[in-house]
Amino acid sequence: MDASQAGLVAIGAGLAVGLAGIGAGLGEKDIGAAAVGAITEDGSLFGKGMIFTVMPETIVIFGLVIAIMALFVL
Amino acid sequence: MFKRSGTGNFAYTSSRVKAKKSKLLKAEDYNKLQAMSVPEISRYISESGYSKEMTDLAGMHDGLELVEYATYGNMAKAFRSILGAASGDCKNMVGAYLKKWDYINALTILRGKRYGLPLDEIRGDLVVAGYLNMEDFEKLMQMANVEDILASFCNLMHIRIPEEVLAVYKAQSDLAPVEDALVITYYEDLLASVKGNDRPTTVFRNYVRSVIDVKNIETLLKFKIEKVDAEVGMKFFIKGGREIDEKLMSQYLNTPDVPTLLNDLQQLKMYADIKDYVSADTDVIGAISALSHYQSDLAESVSALYPLSVLPVVDYMLRKEAEVKNIRMIAYGINAGLDPAVIKEMLVI
Repeated sequence: MDASQAGLVAIGAGLAVGLAGIGAGLGEKDIGAAAVGAITEDGSLFGKGMIFTVMPETIVIFGLVIAIMALFVL
Repeated sequence: MFKRSGTGNFAYTSSRVKAKKSKLLKAEDYNKLQAMSVPEISRYISESGYSKEMTDLAGMHDGLELVEYATYGNMAKAFRSILGAASGDCKNMVGAYLKKWDYINALTILRGKRYGLPLDEIRGDLVVAGYLNMEDFEKLMQMANVEDILASFCNLMHIRIPEEVLAVYKAQSDLAPVEDALVITYYEDLLASVKGNDRPTTVFRNYVRSVIDVKNIETLLKFKIEKVDAEVGMKFFIKGGREIDEKLMSQYLNTPDVPTLLNDLQQLKMYADIKDYVSADTDVIGAISALSHYQSDLAESVSALYPLSVLPVVDYMLRKEAEVKNIRMIAYGINAGLDPAVIKEMLVI
């Protein structure tokens, strides 16, 4: 793999993590706001609110896996 | 993409009101309340979210008065907390909807002043749940006559009452046309304040227009049941309804009796939803109760369509208002020795 190919792979890996992060952030924006609203009224909803808020984070893990695969496996 | 739910904090506000809604009284609670005496009702609602208001007011009031003031105080606090939490478009729409209480308070002050009630009594009947605060109402109450109060209220709300209505009041000292003009102004103002063409806003606008239709049908039923002259009815017509325009209203007002009116109303889409609640022998109270049921069901169904909009907030406000009215109705009904079946019929659950 020459230097330009390695550079493209690195850009691809960065995009995989970066775009997945932006997507997760957009998803979490409303979920987080809703969770805080629910917790304000009923503190016992903290656990559920937290779980729902972090759910879009799974998308970032997919992005991270693709990035690792691009850098070290492919 | 980033503005799909408008510029307001719809997610936060909707989720707060949903949490609040889950704490409202359920049908089984109303069954329990109907089997209680007034002091027992006071105690029960103290344990169901009204404790602070009941404790605060227990030293000044008791019995029915305590139930009434505590429930309205609690409702006002809940609505103002929502208004305080909302921002952007969400706050504008919630604020426009809550202006209803400003109009109700203005009517209370106008009536109180017109009939010379003491300020303390007027103050006790105010529900400060809208756009104006207690200081604004205090200023209105300190004014000497109805004309000044009306002019000041119009300035505060940025509205205009037609000159001819004021002329009628000045000539006859009759407050009724002023009251009707204020109610009509509220609905027209509310409809005008719902701006934007995104889907949730459009659904809310359609909801407001349906509510205007409900108000017009309420007027029609009241007029037909009480056999009032059709020409008078057009003065109460609210423009902007989804299905009932001026021509249709006039046509309905000219029907000879309630059965004919109900028959004619069948051409409306909304009739399918209200037909179970109204019949040829419905009285005025029954008609109002029927339309409240419809309005409440409508708000619930549209609120499920767009969770990230102002619709769940409106749904909660209607439910909370219905809860407060239900508690008062049960307390007053029990105190007056009404049959439980009659009380149950009037409840909006």
